[in-house]
Amino acid sequence: MGRIVGIDLGTTYSLVAYTEPQTGQPRCLPDEEGRTLLPSVVSVDPDGTIVVGWPARDRLLKQSERTVYSVKRLMGKGRGDVEEELKLFPFRIAPDSESVIKIRLGEKVFTPPEISAFILRELKRRAEKFFGEETTRAVITVPAYFNDAQRQATKDAGRIAGLEVERLVNEPTAASLAYGLDKHQRALIAVYDLGGGTFDISLLKLEEGLFKVQSTNGDTHLGGDDIDNLLAEKARAEIRQQFKRDLAEAPDLYQSLRQSVIAAKHELSEKTSATIRFAVPGQGEYRREVARAEFESWIAPLIERTLAPCKMALKDAGVKPEQIDEVVLVGGSTRIPLVRRRVEELFGRKPHAELNPDEVVALGAALQARILEGGLKDMLLLDVTPLSLGIETMGGAVAKIIPRNATIPASASEMFTTYADKQTGVEIHVVQGERELVKDCRSLARFTLKVPPQPAGLPRIEVKFLIDANGILSVTARDLRTGEERSVEVKPSYGLTDEEVEGMILESIEWAEADFAAVQLVAARNEAEAVRRATAKALGEEQAQGLAPDERQQIERARTALEEALKTDDYKLIRQRLEELNQATHHLAELLMDTAVQTALKGKRTDEVNL
Amino acid sequence: MREPTIQTEKAAPACWECKAALDGASAEAHFCPQCGKIQPLPPQTTYFSFFGLPRKLDLEAAELERQFHQLSWQLHPDRFHNASAYERELSLERTAVLNDAFRTLRDPVDRVEYLLGLEGVRKEGEVKQQAPPDLLEEVFELNEHLEELRAAKRSGGEGRELDELRHRLEKTREAFQQKLDAVLAELTAQFPAWDQQGDRAALLRLSEILNRHSYIRNLVRNVTEELET
Repeated sequence: MGRIVGIDLGTTYSLVAYTEPQTGQPRCLPDEEGRTLLPSVVSVDPDGTIVVGWPARDRLLKQSERTVYSVKRLMGKGRGDVEEELKLFPFRIAPDSESVIKIRLGEKVFTPPEISAFILRELKRRAEKFFGEETTRAVITVPAYFNDAQRQATKDAGRIAGLEVERLVNEPTAASLAYGLDKHQRALIAVYDLGGGTFDISLLKLEEGLFKVQSTNGDTHLGGDDIDNLLAEKARAEIRQQFKRDLAEAPDLYQSLRQSVIAAKHELSEKTSATIRFAVPGQGEYRREVARAEFESWIAPLIERTLAPCKMALKDAGVKPEQIDEVVLVGGSTRIPLVRRRVEELFGRKPHAELNPDEVVALGAALQARILEGGLKDMLLLDVTPLSLGIETMGGAVAKIIPRNATIPASASEMFTTYADKQTGVEIHVVQGERELVKDCRSLARFTLKVPPQPAGLPRIEVKFLIDANGILSVTARDLRTGEERSVEVKPSYGLTDEEVEGMILESIEWAEADFAAVQLVAARNEAEAVRRATAKALGEEQAQGLAPDERQQIERARTALEEALKTDDYKLIRQRLEELNQATHHLAELLMDTAVQTALKGKRTDEVNL
Repeated sequence: MREPTIQTEKAAPACWECKAALDGASAEAHFCPQCGKIQPLPPQTTYFSFFGLPRKLDLEAAELERQFHQLSWQLHPDRFHNASAYERELSLERTAVLNDAFRTLRDPVDRVEYLLGLEGVRKEGEVKQQAPPDLLEEVFELNEHLEELRAAKRSGGEGRELDELRHRLEKTREAFQQKLDAVLAELTAQFPAWDQQGDRAALLRLSEILNRHSYIRNLVRNVTEELET
């Protein structure tokens, strides 16, 4: 089946982690330069090459119109949802973005799941380099407060990237797994997760390894990004006044300013004041000293917005703040001292912040991955659905059928019949949200239930709504008179259809081929390295004296040729030279009685040989 | 003479894996007692039978939760991730019902409503939205207060006037909350009549109390929403 990795697909950064089966310890996988974070930034070259991560982030400044960041904020959204936000993004939205946003990057157009897939593919590649073999299975985290469309979009991204998404896990819940809180204790835990783009609060009850989410709440539109935008807007206004120049008209410069304020924001978590520095081309430098107190007065309204969801979560779980035993901080924005103070005030205790808030979610995802592999049998996560599921009734009202905070998987059955004789269809509209009216909830899907033409009220169709362990809805229907299953074709209100995802998977195969080559290269390198070492060792053995001088020469030549091939990235060439060396050492292998070495020389896979 | 035997064999449920007969006590078991494989849900399953409970209203919450945890460990999809597609499907189905059943049974009001549905006393979700006659006057007053507050909010009323309206509404809410608690006590007081004597008339009384409860609960909910926004 292969191993399962855990992926934190974040607004600002993404990470991949796995759990060491022997130790049960999760760890984040680094890139070649030892960095575990991958900026969630994607850029498209004029020749169509896709650039992901750190190099893409550098392009935000020079090629902002070809570069996209924070795409997570657009997942599962339509144009109407993000009109305000789009004003701050340098990239452009293509027409026909009502149910799925389409982003124009240079000459190409992508949907958010496709862009997320580029990030996932990069992490997949990182894992494959690390393990030296294909990695196709992953657990991916999502904000707890993500709705059905946002979850589905994340799953689609995984599929497009060539990953089997084994489970979507809620970020705060994953973090609680990683926190290594004593599994055998009984405790009420609050996880406060303020990331780049989203805020989540989850309350969990831990009992004998069972992590049961009691309630969750949040805001999928609140995070560090908002602080950055607020600071950037303040600086832009000041620059306009001081230099008579509006950076809104120069996306590259505006991005550069954004980077400057982010640097100052980070500094303000460590020091009591910082200076925003920004060179206005040809006009001198904008310098603005910001004291922490001033910074805090600016961002206080944003931080206050996290408190209402916290109170709602407490109310839903039926607990008082003082009953919470442990408070855990997750997400880069929890480094801000004001955030820590507010959380401490609310819960009346010092929050845990021992683990790196950037890594803790990925580590938790890796633990959940290990649980699914069949390891870690003493841990189990019971999560909830963040939003009530309802169906539209007469007059645009909502009948709730699965309440928010219901433990998932959860289901509900509803009976439908007809109002008119010979009516052949019943319209069903599924929504998510807490409000009483359909227009105030999020439309998930509409479909027409096919009914045999009969007198009004006679047909009895049972429709079953099932929210699975990923928090994703599926619908089935059964005719109770005939017992027949009826197919239900659900058209999602927001998001891609199955056909569209299939098309994107096909398109992405060219990327998959590049990945395949990379995996092959690592495997060939490892193998060649092992055989090279084994040959050197064998040549030094006493038995090697039995070789004829020309045989020995041939081996040396083949070995040098292999070493040359290893300097290239051509896995086919490495394989060929490896095969030649194997041929040349045939006699040497026979001369050796040491079975381990002999096996290696016969060209067995390196992982079967213990060198 | 062979015919009836064959029919009985067909009718008797058997384990899909080892074909062991699943009857009597094992008919509603989650796992086959012979080979231990997870079983599909029999059509007659109720939330009570899922937990091996009789259709009674007096439930010990702590014991229900203990069983819920134990069954979660056994049935959850995580425990079947590498099993066959059929077993994964069964695990998903059983866990969904486990969660639905626990959510329903742990709450006394939902539990009564569910039982009334099972016993055919009322259809699920069927609630009379008429004000109980003895409450008419108070409900009328409450609605008036609500409307005044809404109107004041719309016209951007003065802080002090708003505060007063809020305060008055808050008082009324408290009064109704107390009524709600009393109705809940009334509801539980009916439990023994059903649990011990199987008295069907008790079910009708429960249904009436439930209507009253859901009416007042909606009222309190609306007021709370208005006060918090």
